[in-house]
Amino acid sequence: MELETVRQIRGAKELVEEAVDAATARIGEVQRVMTRKPYAVLALVTPIALPVRAIEEAHLHVVDGVYFAIRLGNRLAGLLAGYALDRLEAHALGKPAP
Amino acid sequence: MSEDEGMVSGFPGWSATATSILNGCVGDYLARRDNGLAIDMAFYGGGKPLPLMPDSLRADLHTPTRKLCVLLHGLCCHEGVWNYPADPARSYGSALRDDLGYTPLFLRYNTGLPIPYNGKSLDTLLEKLLLAYPEPVDEIVLIGHSMGGLVLRGACHYGVERDAPWVRLVSRAFYLGTPHEGAMLEKVAHLMTSVLRAVPHPVTALVGDVAGQRSQGVKDLRNGTTVDADDLIGAVPWLASAQHYLIAGTVTDDPGHLAARLFGDGLVQPPRAGDNVRLFPGVGHMDLAHDEAVYDQIRTWCASA
Repeated sequence: MELETVRQIRGAKELVEEAVDAATARIGEVQRVMTRKPYAVLALVTPIALPVRAIEEAHLHVVDGVYFAIRLGNRLAGLLAGYALDRLEAHALGKPAP
Repeated sequence: MSEDEGMVSGFPGWSATATSILNGCVGDYLARRDNGLAIDMAFYGGGKPLPLMPDSLRADLHTPTRKLCVLLHGLCCHEGVWNYPADPARSYGSALRDDLGYTPLFLRYNTGLPIPYNGKSLDTLLEKLLLAYPEPVDEIVLIGHSMGGLVLRGACHYGVERDAPWVRLVSRAFYLGTPHEGAMLEKVAHLMTSVLRAVPHPVTALVGDVAGQRSQGVKDLRNGTTVDADDLIGAVPWLASAQHYLIAGTVTDDPGHLAARLFGDGLVQPPRAGDNVRLFPGVGHMDLAHDEAVYDQIRTWCASA
C-alpha cells in the first residue's frame, strides 16, 4: 500500500474518531438538559420531590454512562486502527513493524 | 494498479472525489488538525500533483508551449469537473491546447479553506510555476468555475499588491458561474443557522451548531469574499491589465422564467448584462465547466485580439 494512501486512511480514522467524540459529548449535553425537564416539573410536587431527585440522579448517571461507553469504545477502536496503520506504514517504508 | 491509473487518463477516482467533497465541507478543520485528508494546493495531472521542476514539467506536460491556461474548479470539486461526461478525455483545457496552443494546468485545492487564503496560495504557486516552467511564458489565461473564479480574483489582487511577475502575463480571466456578489444558497444557510441557534431549545441549537460547522470556504461564498477585510477596504478591483469575461447559466431554457430569475443556474444568480457577459440558458451550474457551447464562447474570446 502506498504511503499517501496510508496517510489518507489515517486522516479518515482521525476524523471519524474526533467526530464521534465531539458528537457524543454534544448530544450527551443535550440529552442531559432534556432529561432534567420532566424531573424539574415533578420535583415541584413537594411530597415526591426527594425520590424524584434520587431517580433523576440515577437516570443521569445511566445517560452519562452510555455516552462514556461510546467514547471509550471509540478511543479503543481508534487505538487499534492506529496500531494497524503503524504496521502498514512501516511496511510501506520498508521498516520493521513497531 | 492504483485507482487513478485505472481511470481514463486525467480523470480522478472516487476517493479523490470523496476527499474533495470532504475538504469543501470541513477543509479548514482538516488543515488546522494537520489531517492527512487535507488537500495541498497543486497542479494535477493524471490524478497526481505535478512537481514544479523543469524536467518533471517538461515530461508531464509533454510539449509545453509559451501560452498557459490555468483552470480552477469550484467548491467540493477537483480537476475532474472539467472533463466532459460523454468524453472524459476532453476538457476546456485539452480543447484550448488542440485549438489554440495553450498548455492547460489543472489546479486542485482545499476548497474549505478561506477564499483569500487560497488566493494567496495561488499567487505563490503561480510564481513558483513560472520559475520552474521549461519555456518562457508569453501569456496566461485563467479560467475559474464557481468558487474558482473568486480564488483567481483574489490571487490577482495579491499578485498586483506585491508586483508578482505572473500577473503581467495574464491576458484574460474567465469566470464561469462565479458568485461575485455572493451565493444565495449560502445566504439562506446562514439565515437558517442563525434562526436555529436563536430558538431557545437544545435540539434546534444542536442542529444549528452542526450546520455552523461548515467550512470557512463555504461561508466566504455568502458575500463572494476574495480578499481579507484587513487587506482591502471596499470592492476588490478587477485586474486592470486583463480582459474579464463572465459566463453564467440558468436552470430553464427561458432566462426570463421565474425559476431562472429566482435560482439562476441552480446555485448562483447570473450577473447583470454587459459587453463581456454571456448567459447560457438551460446550462446548470456544474455543466458550465464542461459544455460545448460555453467552450465555443471561451475559444472565440481567446482567439479575439
